[in-house]
Amino acid sequence: MRQVRDGEVNRLEVLFDRHQRALLHYFLHLTGNRAASEDLVQEAFFRVLKYRRSYQTENTFRAWLFQIGRNAYLDHLGRRKNEVAWAAEAPEAASPDAAPDRLMEEKQETALLRQALAELPPEKREVLVMSRFLDLKYEEIAAALQCEVGTVKVRVYRALHELGDRFFALRGEPLS
Amino acid sequence: MNCENIRDRLPECLAGRLGESARERLIEHLEGCSGCRGELAHLGIVWRGLEALKLEAEPDLAMKERFQATLAAFEAGLEQGRLAAVALPGPSRQVPRWAWQLAAGLAVLAIGLIAGRGLAPRPSVTPEIAQLQGQVESLHQLVALSLMQQQQSPASRIEGVSYAYSMTQPDPQVEEALLYAAGHDSNVNVRLSAVDALDKYAADPNVRRALAATLAAQDSPLAQVALIDLVVKSKDRDCAPALRRLASRPEADEAVRQRAQWAIDQLGIGVSR
Repeated sequence: MRQVRDGEVNRLEVLFDRHQRALLHYFLHLTGNRAASEDLVQEAFFRVLKYRRSYQTENTFRAWLFQIGRNAYLDHLGRRKNEVAWAAEAPEAASPDAAPDRLMEEKQETALLRQALAELPPEKREVLVMSRFLDLKYEEIAAALQCEVGTVKVRVYRALHELGDRFFALRGEPLS
Repeated sequence: MNCENIRDRLPECLAGRLGESARERLIEHLEGCSGCRGELAHLGIVWRGLEALKLEAEPDLAMKERFQATLAAFEAGLEQGRLAAVALPGPSRQVPRWAWQLAAGLAVLAIGLIAGRGLAPRPSVTPEIAQLQGQVESLHQLVALSLMQQQQSPASRIEGVSYAYSMTQPDPQVEEALLYAAGHDSNVNVRLSAVDALDKYAADPNVRRALAATLAAQDSPLAQVALIDLVVKSKDRDCAPALRRLASRPEADEAVRQRAQWAIDQLGIGVSR
């Protein structure tokens, strides 16, 4: 990214190849819409180009990219307040060799968890997506959300706890 | 460590990210605290369950191609800025073939005209060459307007804007197309390019009025900032009301509000008239 910042903008193509998948997944988890997510990836990388001179090397490029991507998503959300912000279309996964009744049970559990995640407040869902699905380090999440690492720890725990509450309540066994 | 501190670390434990000493402290606490053991067990069920919600979607080639087009347009814009001169962009596959054929035809015609006049001393710009220059200018206008149409791809529309920028003479139709693109194009990159190209039209009072309206209606923070910069560069005080509204609008992007306030200070229009 330093080379991009210093004028070799074509070097951004390497970073695009490296990070487009993670960024696409981030937007897909937040919007549930493939076309909108692809547009947001383009928008985020265009902003990287436009604001390349403001890149500071104390954070990783990935952390900075997600900070920019997050702002692009918030702008997108501002323009589409009346649209559904989350469509529960995550793929259904199950062990291929599981017995049919176990398979059915797994599918039901996954459906309930997807529903619980969809019902989570957006800021909690986002921090879980970053931590659980994108494997971002807490330092990177802190840079993207512009908060302290300690705050990220608390937020991830609270988000996971609330997700658990909602999930077990949907299963008919409330936790707290 | 108390239970609260321990629980904040449980997600890291589940993700396998705890260092050795932190893990040992956690295990030590769990051995004597059934509440935290229960919490870890419940969170573990959820954490493992989330594995099934991981996405497998892969980016397709079209995404890369879109990015490459944007990057190429951006590099071309940088080069244009570096040269700080009006230059005709090179051939591109986005430009219709007929346009290049027409340009080549005009070039051949020009060579024929010059060669056919012999060696006699002549004024530096003959009526024929002036006419030819006018035709080339018309070609630029034609290509610019053709590429800026909404049914073209964003990369082509940016190229159309680039053609508009390369025109030496202001043209009302191109001006109108640029204003439309700056205010309404569905792609924010095209909007930004159009704002840059409007720089040379900013002395026109009609353009200034249109810019004020565009600034008020703009929903992209990036385009808003670009428009504000253009307003300051062209010392356009007619935009004062739009700038004041932006600077004080709570729902506006923070960067936009700050930029609008900066513009107000730069133009010395802080007090309502």
